[in-house]
Amino acid sequence: MDELLLSKVRLGVVAELLNYDWVAFSELARALEVTHGNLGAHISKLVDAGYVDEEKTFVNRRPLTRYRLAKKGRDAFAAHVSQLASLLKEA
Amino acid sequence: MKQTILNPNSARQHIEMVDRILAESHPRLCAGGDFFVVWGLASAFITVLFHLVNIGMFPARALWSVPVVLAACALYSVIRARALRPTIVRTSLVQREFFNVLWLTLGMAFVANVAAFRIFSGIASAAIWSVAEAIVLLYIGMHGNRRAQIAGMLVVVSLAAANFVAPDRTAYVLAAGMLAGYAGFGISELLAA
Repeated sequence: MDELLLSKVRLGVVAELLNYDWVAFSELARALEVTHGNLGAHISKLVDAGYVDEEKTFVNRRPLTRYRLAKKGRDAFAAHVSQLASLLKEA
Repeated sequence: MKQTILNPNSARQHIEMVDRILAESHPRLCAGGDFFVVWGLASAFITVLFHLVNIGMFPARALWSVPVVLAACALYSVIRARALRPTIVRTSLVQREFFNVLWLTLGMAFVANVAAFRIFSGIASAAIWSVAEAIVLLYIGMHGNRRAQIAGMLVVVSLAAANFVAPDRTAYVLAAGMLAGYAGFGISELLAA
């Protein structure tokens, strides 16, 4: 199984991004009910692995960070969920 | 990538979480109700104005208001879209697809009006806009927006009705469809928001 997606938060981030083009950091934290610090640590691993694209901009002089699921992340998610389903079937 | 094993209980929890997130993600299609109001009013105004000029009620110089109205609507759309963009915390893939459909449909209607004005002359040019507006509304309706379905049907019905009414009423029927369908949908979206 994909070690990166074994974390519930990281799997949740990828699932949240699945149907969306871009999602803001604050919206992800709200949806997943995690602290900004916790989410930041997890999401940076996804960005480093190339699973998620990051875009940093400024809106009214305030930083806005948005994320989008990359193809690598989409493929990894599909394979991971398929493996989870197989595991449940075998159990 | 290092591979690790998950126990079945945790795997079940993860699958359930993914299912819940996907079930709760209902990407909503909307481009902002005010855009529909502005363009619905403008298209109805232009349709009726052309008719009134054709029957001699208004002088031909009144048509100079058309590019002014179109430019004002375009300017409003651009400024409003730029203001809205930073406030959108989620942009769905369906929404992106919708914008493609929106601009392609309205763009093709514009091309038909400008490049094929001899084919789509007179009331046919207004009918082209009705068709474009119906496609946009029905596309939104296809993604679960009941109000857009009804509004799209209203525009389609106005098109069919306009075909059968007396020629001097055709423009009014098309304009009514644009107002009730396109602008009406915009108002309903604003009220719902």
